[in-house]
Amino acid sequence: MTVAAGIGYALLALGPSLSLFVAVISKKPFLILTVLSSTLLWLISLIVLSGVWRAFLPLKSTAWWPFAILIITSVGFQEGLRILFWKVYKRLEDLLDAFADRVSKPRLFLTDKMQIALAGGLGHGMAHAVFFCLSLLTPAFGPATFYVDSCSQLPFFLVSAIISLALVTIHTFSMVIAFNGYAEGNKVDQFFVPGVHLVAGMVTLANLASGGCIIGIPLLYFMAILTLMHCGKMVWRRLTEDRSRQGRS
Amino acid sequence: MDQNSKPRSVLQSLGEEIIRIIVPVSLCMFLVVILVTVLNTSSSTSVTSIATMAYSETDSDSSWNKFKGALLNALVFVAVVTAVTFILVLLFYLRLTKFLKLYMGFSACLVLGFMGGEIALFLIDNFSVPVDCVTFAVVLFNFTVVGVLAVFMSKMAILITQGYLVIIGVLVAYWFTLLPEWTTWVLLVAMALYDLAAVLLPGGPLKLLVELAMSRDEDIPALVYEARPVTYDDSGLRSGVAQRRLWRERRAVGSNSGENLNSGSNTNSNVGSVLDSNPTPGTVLSVGSGQHATSLVNVEEGRVVGGDTELSVPLIDRRLNVQVNVREEAMSSDSLALEGIGLGSSGAIKLGLGDFIFYSVLVGRAAMYDFMTVYACYLAIIAGLGITLMLLALYQKALPALPVSVLLGVLFYFLTRFFLEVFVVQCSLNLLMF
Repeated sequence: MTVAAGIGYALLALGPSLSLFVAVISKKPFLILTVLSSTLLWLISLIVLSGVWRAFLPLKSTAWWPFAILIITSVGFQEGLRILFWKVYKRLEDLLDAFADRVSKPRLFLTDKMQIALAGGLGHGMAHAVFFCLSLLTPAFGPATFYVDSCSQLPFFLVSAIISLALVTIHTFSMVIAFNGYAEGNKVDQFFVPGVHLVAGMVTLANLASGGCIIGIPLLYFMAILTLMHCGKMVWRRLTEDRSRQGRS
Repeated sequence: MDQNSKPRSVLQSLGEEIIRIIVPVSLCMFLVVILVTVLNTSSSTSVTSIATMAYSETDSDSSWNKFKGALLNALVFVAVVTAVTFILVLLFYLRLTKFLKLYMGFSACLVLGFMGGEIALFLIDNFSVPVDCVTFAVVLFNFTVVGVLAVFMSKMAILITQGYLVIIGVLVAYWFTLLPEWTTWVLLVAMALYDLAAVLLPGGPLKLLVELAMSRDEDIPALVYEARPVTYDDSGLRSGVAQRRLWRERRAVGSNSGENLNSGSNTNSNVGSVLDSNPTPGTVLSVGSGQHATSLVNVEEGRVVGGDTELSVPLIDRRLNVQVNVREEAMSSDSLALEGIGLGSSGAIKLGLGDFIFYSVLVGRAAMYDFMTVYACYLAIIAGLGITLMLLALYQKALPALPVSVLLGVLFYFLTRFFLEVFVVQCSLNLLMF
C-alpha cells in the first residue's frame, strides 16, 4: 500500500528472526556464516524441487490432492536434507574440536552447539520468509493492495506474512530439536521434527478452501507454539543436566 | 579457571575475517539494488560506451541476433581490457609507478565527481530535493577531493577509505547496469572467463603483474579494498575488538622474520628478530594458556606478527599477492581497478574493486527483473566468495575472485527466473507454504 506498509509486512514476517539475529548471532562471525550457508542450502533444495515440479506447473486443477503431493514431496526432500546437514555438522564439530585443541582453547560447549543449531534453523527460516513472503512483497510498496479469493478478509500480503512468521518459528526451533535428537539418539525428537513440518505443510492446505484460512492459520500457530514449547523444555532439560554434571565433576 | 568469566570458546572469533569482507560486498550490492529500484525508468536510457560499440541492442531484434550482438560487444570489451592491462604491466615494468598512481587518482576523481554527480542529479530529480547549484557544486567538489585523497594516501582513517572504495564500486556498478540486458549477461560471463585466464594462465597479464610486484616486493598501485586486519587478544583487558594498530612499535614476543607462521605450536617460541623485547604484560600474554594471540601491524616494515596462526591466514613471503585488472568505465575513460583476491601485508584479505563492481552489476541486473532473483543471486555470490576464500587458504596464491561467484550467480539467476519463480508464486498465491 505504501512504503510503510511494505516495511511493516516485511517486519511482521522477519521481525523476531531479526531480533534473534542481532542479539545472538551477530556477535559471533561463525554463526553468521552458518546462517548464510543454511539459507543457501534451503534455496538449493527449493530450486531442485521447483526444477522437478516445473513440468507440472502451473497446476490448473482446483482439486486439493496435487497440492498435497507437492507439499509431501517438498517436505520429505527438505527433511532428507536436514539429515545431510546434520552429517556435515558432525564433521564440522570434529574439525572445530580438533582446532580448539590445537589452539589450547576449550572445546565446544553445549551452548555453542545449540547456538550453531539455532543459527542453522534461523537460516532455514529466513530463507523461507524471504522467498515465500518478501520476494512477493514488491507490489505492496506501491499504492494499492491485493486480495486473494480464498482469504478475502485480509490483504494477501498480511496473510502471507502471518503464515511466514509461524513457519519461520517452526523452522528455527525444529533445527535445535532435530540436532539434539540426533546427538542424543532420542527417537521422539527425531520423529517430532519431520512430523511437525509435515503437519504444518498439510495444514496450509486448508487455505485452499474458501474461508479456510480461519482454520488454517490458528492451527499453524498451534504447531508453532508446540515446537517452541518442546524446544524450550528440551533445552532446559539439557542445560540443567549439563550443569549438574559439571557441578559434580 | 577464571571465576569471573567463562573461558572464551573458539566460536567467539572464528571466521571474523571472512565476515569483514562479506559485509562491504553486501553493502555495495545492497546500495546498487536500492539505486536500481529507485531510479528504474521503464525506458532504459541507452548508454553508448565501449561496451556497446559493436552492437546496440534494440527490442525488435530476434533472440539470436541479440545474442550474437551481445557476444560481439563482450568480445570487444574483453579485448580492450586485455590491451589496457598489458599496457599497465608495461608501465609497471618500466617503473612508472608515479604515473600509475596519478592515473588512479584521476580516475577516482572522474568516478566520484562526474558519475557521482550525475547519479546525484538523477536522485535530486527523482525526489525533487530542493538544493541549489552552488551548494551542490561545493558539496560535490569536497566529496570528490576527500575521495581522491582517501584513495591516494594510506594515512587516512580506514573507515573513510573503505567507505569511499565502496562508493566508487557502487557508482561504477550502477553505470554498468544501464547497459542493455543481453550485453550485460554475456559481458559478465566473458569477464569471469577472462579473469580466470588472466590470473591462472602463464602468459596472463595479471599473473605477470603479480609476479613483477612480488619480485620487487612492491605495492601495485591500484584500487583495492582491504579488510581490517583482525587482532586476537586473550588477556581480557580488551574487548577483543580488532584495531588497526598503526604507528605502534613492535612489542610482541615472537616475531616473524619472513617465515611462514603456520607453526601450530606455541608461537611465542618463534623468536625471530625480536626488538626491544619487553612483553608488555597483560596485553600479550594470555591467562592460563601458554600462547599469546596478538598480531600487530608494523607499518614501517610491513611485517606481521601473527599470533593465533590457525585463525589468521598464513602469509606468503610477507608480500602482497594481489592481482590487477583494469576496467573500462562506461564513459569510455579508463579507470584503474584492482581485481582478484589475495592477502595483504598485514594478513588481511584484499579484494579488488573490480570484483565489487561486477558482483554488484550482477545483482543490480537481477534487481531489474524481480527481488526473488536478487536474493538468489546474492546467496550465490556470497557462496562463490566463500569458496574462493577457502581455495585461497588452500592454494595460497593470488586467485581470481570473479569466476566462481559470477558463474554461480548467473546460474542461479536463470534457474530462479525460469523454475523457482513459477513454483513459489503458485504455492504462495494459494497460501500453501512449507
